[in-house]
Amino acid sequence: MESSHLFSQYNTYPGTWDEMYQDKAIRSKYQQVFADISHLPEEVLQQKDKQASELFMNQGITFTVYSDNAGIERIFPFDIIPRILTSAEWDHIEKGIKQRLKALNLFLKDIYTTQQIVKDKVVPAELIATCPHYTREIFGIKVPHDLYVHISGIDLIRGEDGVFYILEDNLRTPSGVSYMMENREVTKRIFPGMLTDSKVRMINNYPLLLHDILISLAPQQLSEPTVVLLTPGVFNSAYFEHSFLARQMGIPLVEGRDLVVNNHKVYMKTTAGLQQVHVIYRRIDDEFLDPLVFKPDSALGVPGLISAYRKENVAIVNAVGNGVADDKAIYAYVPNMIKYYLNEETILPNVPTYGLENMDARTYVFENIGKMVIKQTNQSGGYGMVMGDKAGEKEIDAIKKAITANPREFIAQPIIKLSTVPCFINGKLQPRHVDLRPYALCGPAGIRIVPGGLTRVALREGSLVVNSSQGGGSKDTWVVDL
Amino acid sequence: MLSRIADSLFWLNRYMERSDCLLRVVYTNYILSFDAGNSTSFSWKDAITIFSPTAEDVINPTDDSTSAALKYLINDSKNLNAAKILLTKARENARGVQDNITKEVWEQVNQLYHLVNQSDMEKKLGGSRSLEIIEQLYQNSTLYYGVTDSTMPRGQGWNFMNLGKFIERCLMTIDTTFAHFKKIDHQLNNPQDILFWRNLLLSLSGYELYLKAYNRDQHNLNIIDHILFNKNFPRSLHYSLNRISRYLNEVVEDTKIEGSEKLHKSFGRIYSKIEFSDINMVQEISLPYFLFSLRKELVEFSNQLTRIYFSYA
Repeated sequence: MESSHLFSQYNTYPGTWDEMYQDKAIRSKYQQVFADISHLPEEVLQQKDKQASELFMNQGITFTVYSDNAGIERIFPFDIIPRILTSAEWDHIEKGIKQRLKALNLFLKDIYTTQQIVKDKVVPAELIATCPHYTREIFGIKVPHDLYVHISGIDLIRGEDGVFYILEDNLRTPSGVSYMMENREVTKRIFPGMLTDSKVRMINNYPLLLHDILISLAPQQLSEPTVVLLTPGVFNSAYFEHSFLARQMGIPLVEGRDLVVNNHKVYMKTTAGLQQVHVIYRRIDDEFLDPLVFKPDSALGVPGLISAYRKENVAIVNAVGNGVADDKAIYAYVPNMIKYYLNEETILPNVPTYGLENMDARTYVFENIGKMVIKQTNQSGGYGMVMGDKAGEKEIDAIKKAITANPREFIAQPIIKLSTVPCFINGKLQPRHVDLRPYALCGPAGIRIVPGGLTRVALREGSLVVNSSQGGGSKDTWVVDL
Repeated sequence: MLSRIADSLFWLNRYMERSDCLLRVVYTNYILSFDAGNSTSFSWKDAITIFSPTAEDVINPTDDSTSAALKYLINDSKNLNAAKILLTKARENARGVQDNITKEVWEQVNQLYHLVNQSDMEKKLGGSRSLEIIEQLYQNSTLYYGVTDSTMPRGQGWNFMNLGKFIERCLMTIDTTFAHFKKIDHQLNNPQDILFWRNLLLSLSGYELYLKAYNRDQHNLNIIDHILFNKNFPRSLHYSLNRISRYLNEVVEDTKIEGSEKLHKSFGRIYSKIEFSDINMVQEISLPYFLFSLRKELVEFSNQLTRIYFSYA
């Protein structure tokens, strides 16, 4: 069967923005890809699909699923058809993310020093006070160049109107950038001609940009500061990414037990004795960083690390305490922050969000709960989410009760049908919902975003949940100059 | 270099070397198992004893049963020295140091791991495809050495990897030799023909070199000379200790930390036992005692190395 046949079976979802089709016509950004694959027989696509899986498996880009006490290694599902953005779409996204990050960095500086934004009542004080990620322990600590968010993975979605919305700000330890890069490497192997045909912008300088930023954060003027990547260890599900980045930047990958703090300085234990560390790109959450300040029973971190941080003897990337800025309830106030700090209109809009402490909003949400998604403010990864249109009566009642008891812990948003992209599933091209996570890097010289990012795709038919823990996969993401 | 990284690189290569020796022994024995019926009696017991000296109970039921022995040596999760377990441990170590080994090395270790962990392994080992599997494993193990040699950067990491590899190789050579000489109760004056020794020599990849380098009488003594003192034989004790000496010197010079001088001296004492001795001295002391004491000292040396360079936890 020719695959142009496969395309003819492609039925877009009603009321959803499809990235490839507009009515029955193919959007211009997808025409080159369509021309490249439409003459390929199904068997060839199957073969390429298999080849891609093997490439991930052989490189050990896997996560372990435990069942019956035996670990089974699985790859993160990868769909071979790329997701395409035009340069115009990308310029808009890039501007919007830069604006947002500028404001969020200023907010973090403000909230951990003078708290002017609270005094001016732009963000309610109760909201900060009740935020579990607001970290009093680091109040007043000075960070290099006043930068808090060095690496971000802000999630975007595209609604049925074709507008890109900000879904979530990930400002702590966003992951997935290695998949963005490996997806591209795999595409190079399975569709070598297509990338050049479409003039896709390159992304593989990401680790170099990141390394430059890490070096620039060293507390003293050193010609060769020691920069390390701190990982929780091989059992962490993102371990592949940690070792991938360390390797690409040529910096040591360390665990908490490799580091020791002496006289407010951080050292690593080497075969030739102790060696001072100046910058730590940590992939460990705040609460595990230092048992003397946070969780006393955690062995993942380094005792005394925060004291070295306070004395400005070591830089920690991203800064500690960023969770207050990507809290789901604070999220609703980001457009106000942009206005307050930058005096600009928001370029990328938020998804309308209802804080549930407000009685009017709560009543409205309860009345329209079939059209709403309820999220817990302190959860991520697609956990703690109730989709009003899918949930049963019992679940709805339970969540209503929970909201009434603790309104601060929940927000509600109207369900937005994410845009769809063709995916090669079971030998056919089928539409599936996607989001987009571009990775932005902030350094003293400004903000850089590699063109594209990670497109996550909900592989189950009709599903809107793209998280890898819940049946999601990913796609290579192209920015093309038309 | 981080102590933890050095530790993992050391053990990565110890496990890879052990599994390489195991696979070579399995391959050799599998091929020779078809030659039963001539003057040499074949038994899987000997191969199993090398890797599980205390596993008396598994020896009897699997005696002479090829598929049971293969399953035990390659695929039995309860056998700590099964290829599956060794390669899993090697991979665990490699995983923790992925940024310190090349992509090529990691992929080779990973491939071996997936090969030995394929779901229908047990069935394949029992069937007509067992030789195919053994060969595949053995070839990939050999590839690991080639990939490592041609891609790994020289330096600290390389030195620790080689220390692991050659310490393990010495131990494996001692264990393999010991097991075979035990079959003749270490009676060196009781001459055996070359067919008897073929298993030992092939298990160490030293058969052809032996035929070229030694005359055809006095096999017992010549083989000891070959395995202990032949400088050109890459699995001889002399060759392996010589390599350890070389890499140890580099490590000691590079790091110069407390205890390294002492370590250097204890190795010197072990090395001199091979470098400044010959077959007559071995006979004087008796072969089993010579091998036994050398083994003990090597293990102690390895522990000392661990204490000095890898104490990070």
